[in-house]
Amino acid sequence: MRLLPPRHPLKRGEALSPKWLTPKWPAPRWLRAMTAPLKAPFRALGPGSVSSVLKVALDVAYILLWLITGLLLLLLVAAVFIPLDNVNITVSGESGGRQLPLTRMLLLFGLGAATAYFGGFMLILRSLRRIFRTLTMGDPFHPDNVRRLRQIGLTLAVVTGGVWLAQGFVAARLAPGVMDPQGLGELLTPIFSVLIVFVLAEVFREGARLRRESELTI
Amino acid sequence: MAIRVQLDRVLVERRMSLTELADRVGVTVANLSILKTGKARAVRFSTLDALCRELDCQPGDLLVHEPGPGDAFDDDAEA
Repeated sequence: MRLLPPRHPLKRGEALSPKWLTPKWPAPRWLRAMTAPLKAPFRALGPGSVSSVLKVALDVAYILLWLITGLLLLLLVAAVFIPLDNVNITVSGESGGRQLPLTRMLLLFGLGAATAYFGGFMLILRSLRRIFRTLTMGDPFHPDNVRRLRQIGLTLAVVTGGVWLAQGFVAARLAPGVMDPQGLGELLTPIFSVLIVFVLAEVFREGARLRRESELTI
Repeated sequence: MAIRVQLDRVLVERRMSLTELADRVGVTVANLSILKTGKARAVRFSTLDALCRELDCQPGDLLVHEPGPGDAFDDDAEA
């Protein structure tokens, strides 16, 4: 099946012709027979559907993340005032364990990074919850969902990029020789996931445009 | 937009209220007022058919084209 329309980009308001949507070669019968029950085994949108179950799960995860982030923030504030002496942490690398003095800077860096990490995921879950609220109401192409998806993409980019940078920093400065330095290859998955979220945001923008148009069609 | 819906005039001529028309056509009053105030983006033929049937008029009696300075289809301006 062709994935791109023959003319690209489509003009605004131009309907996709069903010609390119119909596959040239229909799927073989055994494949159709296998995928037929997969079509709609459950209700995905609306009240009492799978999305409302997922929304409850997101609510729980959000509250948990909120608690964790709050706790970490408290620890971070406390770490500024706690006197540190004679505390060592053991860093285990491939060449065996190693004693490393726990400096104030190391502690603050670790706590700050963990707070930012969980805080970022809390922000993502916050947007996801709101998106799922609209799904539960059966209105997936709410105009606000575009902004929320872009927020998710941006937060994901910042969090995953921050993790990459922090790991590089730890490998180079804080615990040299214990951790391997980060390669660019480890950035591939985050980049792809962020790009996919941004593309999805544009898909939702198109959906929101169609929804607005159909609302104003009497 | 340069297309205007003259629902007001036709309604006055027929001495019909918007609510009554909405009942007879099967369109909500909110949607009819969207049509009346010119906010509508498109009209379904089925709606036009019902309007003409109930108001006993032609589509040309309901719609007029009034070219003006800002008559371009400002799709991007609203988005």
